[in-house]
Amino acid sequence: MIRFVAGRLVASVAIVFAVATASFVLLHAAPGGPFDTEQRRSAAVQRAMEDRYGLHQPLWRQYGHAMAALAHGDLGVSMKRDVSVARLIAEHGPISALLGLLALAAALVLGVAAGAVAAWRRNTWVDHLVMTGALIGISIPAFVLGPLLIAAISLDLGWLPPARVDGARSLILPAITLGAIYLATIARLTRGGLLDVLDHDFVRTARAKGLSERAVIARHALRVGITPVVSYLGPATAALISGSFVVEKIFQIPGLGTYFVTSVAERDYPVVTGVFVFYAALLALLNLVVDLAYGALDPRVRESSP
Amino acid sequence: MLAGCGLPDGDYFGRAAGRADAIDPTHFRWCSQGEPDHLDPTLAWSTASWQLVATLFDGLTTFGRDGLPVPGLATRWDVADDLRTFTFHLRHDAHWSNGRPVTAYDVAHSVFRVAHPLTGSSNADQLASIKGATAYLERRVLVLRRAAGPYRAGDVVEVVGEPAVDVSARTGARPLALRDLGGAPGAAYAVVPPGAPVTLMMISGGRATLPSPDGAAWAYVFWARDREGVGGWVPARELDGEPDGNAVVRVRRAAAKDTPISRVGGRRVPRDAAGGAPDRAPGGAPEGAPDGVPGGVPGVAPRRVPGGVPGAAPGGLPGGTPDGDRPVVTVRARDVVHSTDAIGVAVPDPYTIVFETADPTPYFVALTAMIGLRASPIEAWSRWPRRWDRPEHIITSGPFHLVAWEERDRIELVRSPTYWDRGAVKLARFTSLSMDDQAASTNAYFTGACDATAANTVPSSYLPAINGELRGGRAYKDYQVAPFLGVYFLWIQSQKLPNRHLRRALALAIDRSAVPRFTHGGEIPTAQLTPGTPIARLSAAERAACGVTEATPGVALLMADGQCYVPPPGLDHDPAAARRELALARAEGGVPDHPIEYRYNAGSEGHKQIAEYLQAAWAQIGVPVRIVAQEWNSLLDDTQRGEFEISRFGNVGNMVDPESEFLVLLRCASAGNRGRYCSPRFEQLMDEARTLTDPGARNARLRDAEAVMIEDAPLVPIYILTQKHLIEPYVQGYATNLIDQPPLWRIWIDPGARPR
Repeated sequence: MIRFVAGRLVASVAIVFAVATASFVLLHAAPGGPFDTEQRRSAAVQRAMEDRYGLHQPLWRQYGHAMAALAHGDLGVSMKRDVSVARLIAEHGPISALLGLLALAAALVLGVAAGAVAAWRRNTWVDHLVMTGALIGISIPAFVLGPLLIAAISLDLGWLPPARVDGARSLILPAITLGAIYLATIARLTRGGLLDVLDHDFVRTARAKGLSERAVIARHALRVGITPVVSYLGPATAALISGSFVVEKIFQIPGLGTYFVTSVAERDYPVVTGVFVFYAALLALLNLVVDLAYGALDPRVRESSP
Repeated sequence: MLAGCGLPDGDYFGRAAGRADAIDPTHFRWCSQGEPDHLDPTLAWSTASWQLVATLFDGLTTFGRDGLPVPGLATRWDVADDLRTFTFHLRHDAHWSNGRPVTAYDVAHSVFRVAHPLTGSSNADQLASIKGATAYLERRVLVLRRAAGPYRAGDVVEVVGEPAVDVSARTGARPLALRDLGGAPGAAYAVVPPGAPVTLMMISGGRATLPSPDGAAWAYVFWARDREGVGGWVPARELDGEPDGNAVVRVRRAAAKDTPISRVGGRRVPRDAAGGAPDRAPGGAPEGAPDGVPGGVPGVAPRRVPGGVPGAAPGGLPGGTPDGDRPVVTVRARDVVHSTDAIGVAVPDPYTIVFETADPTPYFVALTAMIGLRASPIEAWSRWPRRWDRPEHIITSGPFHLVAWEERDRIELVRSPTYWDRGAVKLARFTSLSMDDQAASTNAYFTGACDATAANTVPSSYLPAINGELRGGRAYKDYQVAPFLGVYFLWIQSQKLPNRHLRRALALAIDRSAVPRFTHGGEIPTAQLTPGTPIARLSAAERAACGVTEATPGVALLMADGQCYVPPPGLDHDPAAARRELALARAEGGVPDHPIEYRYNAGSEGHKQIAEYLQAAWAQIGVPVRIVAQEWNSLLDDTQRGEFEISRFGNVGNMVDPESEFLVLLRCASAGNRGRYCSPRFEQLMDEARTLTDPGARNARLRDAEAVMIEDAPLVPIYILTQKHLIEPYVQGYATNLIDQPPLWRIWIDPGARPR
């Protein structure tokens, strides 16, 4: 067990450096640089701006500096704003994480419940209704759902603020927009996972003991049936708590998700590498947690795991 | 989207207008254009930053209601007849928020910070007209510390070839205690370890640097500690090591246009002032030149310029001083210094500052309102060079002071208790909400979260709902449109499409009256490059000043001192002429046999619609065009390298002047000349205009130049940009001007105010 965890941690470090390398190479291969502008800027000024961040050094040296700093846990400084990337993540990460956890909690509770109900009442109108709803939830992108919710609930009814984080109420619409697709996916995965296990021996045994179908699902089948949901939770959690560009832009939320897109568009090299490394580390960590959770949930996995 | 859920029926789009009792008359809430990058005037580069910086930091002049300069720190100024020397007299009652008086040195040191290569300031181009500023940035000009060859100590020389060594590198044998000028060693806020290299930036007692507090020279150095670094003053004698001192540098007298000439009130620079140890070894070895004068005291002597050497003025300009004979000499690095004395700024007394420009610069006074020439507090940027603009460190001089900066959320300003004109500031509080998304900004205004929006934060999809198109022409009264000093145009790469007739045909084929169908924001179709106010909207007095009648088509640009620039007519829609030009182009073999490529930046519906419209218009005269949508940075990169045929582009003026903001784009050597246009006739007229000190004559010459350019059609103007604001009726004094520099501190809130 300890060897398993240690091995995964070592692999995670390798992944982090691989991601940093990939983002460095890709970004420097893309045309343009952080200080390109449509304004009239003389070559002398452009040169001085780029020199301040060492952009005229050979690429291998820039890469060496970046990796050496990363090895020391230093993610560098934004070239556009002179803010350290670690501070960007520390300041904007928690907002994304809070919003993501809200969305995740709602998606998990409602999604598992909806999926279980659909499995329980499979092939009835209840099942069809839930699954149609899930299909719509998966199909409507956040950039449609968000503005629709704003138009109806904020602008027309005036119930909730349309933008910015200002008190708990302001997180409701973004959390719904962010969580909708996850809720729908979790409902479908739960239903599918449950249907898979419902004719397994241990379920048949439970039924034979005389338990009601509801108890069979809730106490026995669900534990094993939601393993697809658990494996989905790793990447889903990482995606949710690291922020969504679309939702943060629509609702003007100062989270981390924005940087995944703006820093690339701005060619702000340290920020790009920093947020991607952060995301990779988070993803690796959460996948490890998921693998450990498998074992806890399903005895069969525990026995076969190294 | 808004249209679908019911627009407000009344006269106002915003909701707060009906709730007079809920309005705080001392608090203004603004939905800004987004998160500012910096609030440090020496570093800020985005529009969103500029408007806030202008409320936090005073300038010699500031932008008034009409966007033209008004007195700020300077109460008055003298402009020399040749428009090359500008003397500003500062008020004595201006103070920083820490109580220290604002002096001319604060302006000078801030200029030096912007001009220094290590700062890497995007605003350094605002100094380009000042003598020596660009050469200093490029480390091309140095000041001699001892005589060499025909040159004397104190002479400004230029480096011949590539500067191979850093003549500013210094070390101390003992720890260097960085502190404020004249401070005790114990007051140091950073200590440089012995032997660690620092960069010498300023010396006390120079032409525009603070005088020595104790008679001995002090040096201002920068230590590249961590990523941010730290700067500070130390006694110059403590800088006893020069790592590159023995390297040699080849220099010659700087070109006259790079050499400041004004003498500063008799002050002298002590020998060791250039920041090094007294000479221990004999000085440099100039090529065939007598050695230096050991221990001499190089003053800042008035320049003696040998005149009238025929044909020997390579760097000279028409009307300038010929450069005469400039032999190259070799000196040691220790005998020259990268000194602020090479920049045309002088501070003869703490409340007077003098700028010298290389060429006549009629717009120089307006330049001093730009953020690159505002005063900034040396005690703050020395300690935290990149972070002093945070609330915990900031020292301000403007109408407002920063109390909170929640990144990507909001910025809180309060009326500054130390601002000299605080009585005129009616707002006690100013909240700037950083809205990166246009729809979010407009939604926030709609629900009453802000009292006004910054220019152009209304998404184009909302415009038909707000500008009245969807309400039978009834625009909301809190929606305001005004012309903006910016123009949307197409570059035609003149080297890739060198046939002038082809370019003219492309320009003549476009019916610009269709533009409003794509833009919805009151944009003004134009075939002229220089934007301005439509002549039809000018008052009778303004028309008289411009020498135009009501019937004159096009725009006019109203400038300072009652001057007016009327751009020449452009190549407007004329299909028959377009076909004639195209036939001429075909006859000359000037039409490529492939479809011409038209590029625009992807992501905007408006750019796409215009591209398709142009494609159709050009197809009508028989020119096939292929449209390419490109990511913004790639488009910038390609166009900067001239790798395109036609690209949509734009240009926005930061101050009201046709030459410095628009015509300069077309000069052969201009950084903004993406179309690679280069016309000897245009260059000649522009050069002539630079020598003219009479504003009327200058405008006439510029107009001639613009006419030459328009006839060559290296670019095709399409429309003049507008600025769109949403402003609640109770917000008073929100002055929109051509350059979108509203003096926000002049705003007041009148809850009872009704329609304007």
